[in-house]
Amino acid sequence: MCAPIASFAAQSDFFDGTLVLPIATEPKTFNVLVAQETSSTEVAQYLFEGLTEFNPKTGAVLPDLAASWHHSPDGLVWTFRLRKGVRWSDGSPFTAQDVAFTFEQVIFNPAIPNGARDIFTIQGKPVTLNVLDDDTVEFHLPAPFAPFLFSLTQPIIPKHILEKAVHDGTFSSAWGLGEDPARIVGTGPFRLAKVLPGERVELVRNPYYWRMGHDRRPLPRLDRIILMIIPSQENQLLRFLDGETDLFVMRGSDYPVLKPLEKERNFKIHRTGASLGSSFVALNQQAKEPWKKKWFQNRDFRRALSHGLDRASMADIVFNRFAVKQCSPLSPSVPFFYNDETPCYDHDPGTAKMILTEVVGFQDKDKDGILEDEEGHPLEIVLMTNTEDPARLQLAQMIREDWRRIGIRVHLQPLEFNALVSKLTVTHDWDAVVMGLTGSVDPHFGANVWLSSGNLHFWNPGGGNATYIETKVDDLFGKAAVTLDRNKRKEYYDEWQRIEGEELPLIPTVLPEVLYAVRDRFAPLTPTALGGPFYPIEEVETKRS
Amino acid sequence: MSPRHSFFNRCLMAIPLLLLLPLLTFWLMHLMPGNYFDQLRLNPQISRATVEQYEKLYHLNEPVLIQYVYWLKQLARLDFGYSFAYKQPVLDILVSRLGNTVLLTGFSFAWAWILAVFLGLLAARYPRSIFNRLLDGIAYAALSMPNFFLCLILLHLAAAWGGLPLGGMRSVDYEALSASGKVLDILSHLAIPSFVLGIGIFSFLFRLMRAQAQEVYERDFVLYLRAWRIPGYKILFKHVARNAINPLITLLGMQLPALVSGAALVEIFTGWPGLGQVMLQAVRAQDLFLVMGNMVMVSALLVLGNFLSDILLVIVDPRIRSGKGGAS
Repeated sequence: MCAPIASFAAQSDFFDGTLVLPIATEPKTFNVLVAQETSSTEVAQYLFEGLTEFNPKTGAVLPDLAASWHHSPDGLVWTFRLRKGVRWSDGSPFTAQDVAFTFEQVIFNPAIPNGARDIFTIQGKPVTLNVLDDDTVEFHLPAPFAPFLFSLTQPIIPKHILEKAVHDGTFSSAWGLGEDPARIVGTGPFRLAKVLPGERVELVRNPYYWRMGHDRRPLPRLDRIILMIIPSQENQLLRFLDGETDLFVMRGSDYPVLKPLEKERNFKIHRTGASLGSSFVALNQQAKEPWKKKWFQNRDFRRALSHGLDRASMADIVFNRFAVKQCSPLSPSVPFFYNDETPCYDHDPGTAKMILTEVVGFQDKDKDGILEDEEGHPLEIVLMTNTEDPARLQLAQMIREDWRRIGIRVHLQPLEFNALVSKLTVTHDWDAVVMGLTGSVDPHFGANVWLSSGNLHFWNPGGGNATYIETKVDDLFGKAAVTLDRNKRKEYYDEWQRIEGEELPLIPTVLPEVLYAVRDRFAPLTPTALGGPFYPIEEVETKRS
Repeated sequence: MSPRHSFFNRCLMAIPLLLLLPLLTFWLMHLMPGNYFDQLRLNPQISRATVEQYEKLYHLNEPVLIQYVYWLKQLARLDFGYSFAYKQPVLDILVSRLGNTVLLTGFSFAWAWILAVFLGLLAARYPRSIFNRLLDGIAYAALSMPNFFLCLILLHLAAAWGGLPLGGMRSVDYEALSASGKVLDILSHLAIPSFVLGIGIFSFLFRLMRAQAQEVYERDFVLYLRAWRIPGYKILFKHVARNAINPLITLLGMQLPALVSGAALVEIFTGWPGLGQVMLQAVRAQDLFLVMGNMVMVSALLVLGNFLSDILLVIVDPRIRSGKGGAS
């Protein structure tokens, strides 16, 4: 691309104190309790706060709307002292009534479907709460719940604005895109100023924000955040280079294009490590054909397959080197709980083939390059993946080639996401799948996947067929959920990661790195994969030139 | 057949069309496996009971035909239902984007039509000129190039040379501009997408108009008018134009639905905040009622467009009004 003669995006005073971010899809609602997709929750992080806050750098849970807390020795009663003097962005005082409203009238309201209710339902029973006075709330838990503090990052919403909608039964549709921005009220550092559907969302600083900087100057430092809705990645790149936007979330393949332009176009590329979540190949241990079921249930078979994967090439080819090998079910970006001693499998086709022939008992009797089991069934697997993600499709193609080399014939079957989900969770009609799952920073929230009875335990569903090892995992998760000592919890989850590394129900592949290109007129910047490029957003300011 | 009779006939024919098109869409949407809420199923933090609660709320757990009846009942009260993703009435979402899309497509159609008719007539008058050959080349190139590709090329050129915005509808600092600055700002943002959208329409109509006009030129009445020493421009823009334009007017009506649905691809590539973005996401996420609402709107516009082009034809061509056909 040639150097620009004139950039359309003018650099005027207007941009002082303004951060312009691109987003691929527009927020669908500002109602953070019913929002389901990241496009909506991404905006919510600027507008709302919870009782606690998660620090993405240390993994610690810090006070936010709650100033302090203590719990009873049995961990069943938690008392939170709320921060004094906090105001909503319309100036009304924030009180314990708002906390009670959020939990009692919204989250546990049977008429309002929401995901938060599942988090605060512990062993089938809801968390209850008592308002002791305007500044104190007491939560009663049906059982000790270790991730409770982390769960309380749950945004609190204003009673004085939303109570009417709850009573009218219109809560789920309240705070949509067409709502008057002045009525969308939070305690976060910014408040909503304007919404132009499909075009942009403008946030301005919340004049009532409670937090003070270290130098006693009020926070946030930025006057304005403008979220530009730019659906095409191609267009996001052009407009970032042109100077219109201040951030570009890069793919590995963008690196060679962008790196030489850093100085000339005034930005810097930040490598922040592996993305949260997981990426793996799963084998159906309850496959329809009995012989396949036998293969897939065999741990040595799965180990051979893991040895067969050339993860270095996957990182090179699919992500242009910007990916890390995954070993544990947790991402290496998960602070504190990630176990870096989880067993890993090197690319070693020789060992893989040796395990398949000598340990599992496959042989290539007809010399066609494809192994057969003792009953003569050729080692053929249908590998599914979803069509929406080109990187995943590419991974699946590489897996097919890798496994072909160790004597497995793989038939690739890309499917629409919804079709794939229905095969995995309803009909159970699948052999192998290349997938990713969204991760959480607290391993407990993977329980739905890892508990043998979990509804996402799709490789051996139902809980009725749980193996001895799986019941051991159930036990570890159960203990870790009720143990409040953080170090003790880590021991349980370390053990779990070690077991999954040995057992390989999900064979990990590679996780892409998170790369941000950020305009260099902002400071201080400490980007992380978990916290994003600008955490903590209230401290970020534009540099005066 | 009297015009009035034909009008009522048209009305009657519109009813099954308006019922069948949505049914077809409904059925096609259900051919896709799963539903909107399936994306929640793979979220480890959301329980199955929650997903089922959502499905029950919108009757997604019932057979397709029952769902369709529920939807028709709603529609009878002019209620298009709620979007799953936006949790807002479908009508509100459509209306909030309609203006932007119509601005883009309307502007593109307008310049394409006016230029096509004007240049088409001129090209028919001077078929051997360089001007005609040049336009022929442009039209040929534009018709053979996919418009998303043209769009990407233009965006890259604009990025390299500067001067034109690279997407969106308004600049970031739009609010800080003067009134005339605001108009200029929107016009400059219109330049690339409306060129891409318009050039295809222009090329097609230009060739049609030229062919029509050439054919009319060879008729006897033109010779007769010339003999009467009617000035050339008057023959061209009054007499030839009125005789040649009928097929274009029929097309005009048929293109009315394209006014709201024809720009999706260009909108996505240039980040234009119109219906295209919303609909693409809605179809992909299976946001059923939003897709249906759009479908009803587009089919209604199709019917309306056909009406309008009939009425326009009657106005432009008195032969249709009197019910007499044939050449004059």
